[in-house]
Amino acid sequence: MTQIVPPLPVVDVVRGIASLEEDIPRVLAFLGKSTFEELGWQRPNKSSLIVPLQGTINGVTEQYVLRLGFSAYRRWPPSAQFVNPETLAYKHPVDQYHLPMLSSPECHVHASYTSTNGKTMQLICCSATQEFYDAAHPVEPDLMWREQNTFYTTIAAIQKAMVMHYGGRFAKV
Amino acid sequence: MEFEGNHTGSHSLDEAVEHLKEAEVHLEEAREEEAKAERDVKEAIHEIEEASRHEEVEVHVVHVNELEKATFKEKLNATLQQVWDKSYKELKLAPKPKDVFQTAGAQPKPLTGYLHLTLEQAREKKVIDSFHFGIASATGGA
Repeated sequence: MTQIVPPLPVVDVVRGIASLEEDIPRVLAFLGKSTFEELGWQRPNKSSLIVPLQGTINGVTEQYVLRLGFSAYRRWPPSAQFVNPETLAYKHPVDQYHLPMLSSPECHVHASYTSTNGKTMQLICCSATQEFYDAAHPVEPDLMWREQNTFYTTIAAIQKAMVMHYGGRFAKV
Repeated sequence: MEFEGNHTGSHSLDEAVEHLKEAEVHLEEAREEEAKAERDVKEAIHEIEEASRHEEVEVHVVHVNELEKATFKEKLNATLQQVWDKSYKELKLAPKPKDVFQTAGAQPKPLTGYLHLTLEQAREKKVIDSFHFGIASATGGA
């Protein structure tokens, strides 16, 4: 299948927050919950969402914190970054221990990725994250983010990789 | 069988032989009864298995990208592929080439390699532990 390089995301924080507000009740209803707290999620500010995820390897389960950002949402997917649970931020290389190693054709975590357009970032290489488009990553048109998707698409895609393709933590630096 | 051990002589020996023959006849009858009972048990088990194959169960399916849900009845002998196909009709959504059929919940597992299994077989082989399924559109990335 031919791949294309999609256009770069355009930041529009006001629209991103409005779209998030619109989607929150839909996602909660879909999951049969009435608040984020019931899911263990947090919303530290209007344009971010904190979602705990876990991975199990060799019988050992490890906890991770995924931070979603909505500055270009929903024309583009939310930004998705695994973060240090203390700071809710990611600084390479000191925080790379807080990243899960995920290696699947649909979702691959890079602790530090330099794109062809010269940007260096943590990249959850998955067409349901904003960073994938920030990095100008080529993609099959069929797999591109669609504006009808919600942030739950992003969570579900990463969650699926955590179940099937989890390889433990990145090393401590 | 009664056997009077205090008798002696040919008369009591004849009686004993007669008793033995009767006992052998009874044993043969008992064996035939047992064999028949075993056949009956096997038939009953087969009937139960046949009935359960046609038994309907409630299937729950969600589409994680479209945030849609549906619940419908399906036969236990329906394959996962048939359940997946029917799910689109129930969800009133069109299938997309890159969609994936998976288990539902926080720890979804793709069912791609198991689509030929029936619901019953998938449950027996512990491929699924409930009749809750999800459909997710594939993503790209490497």
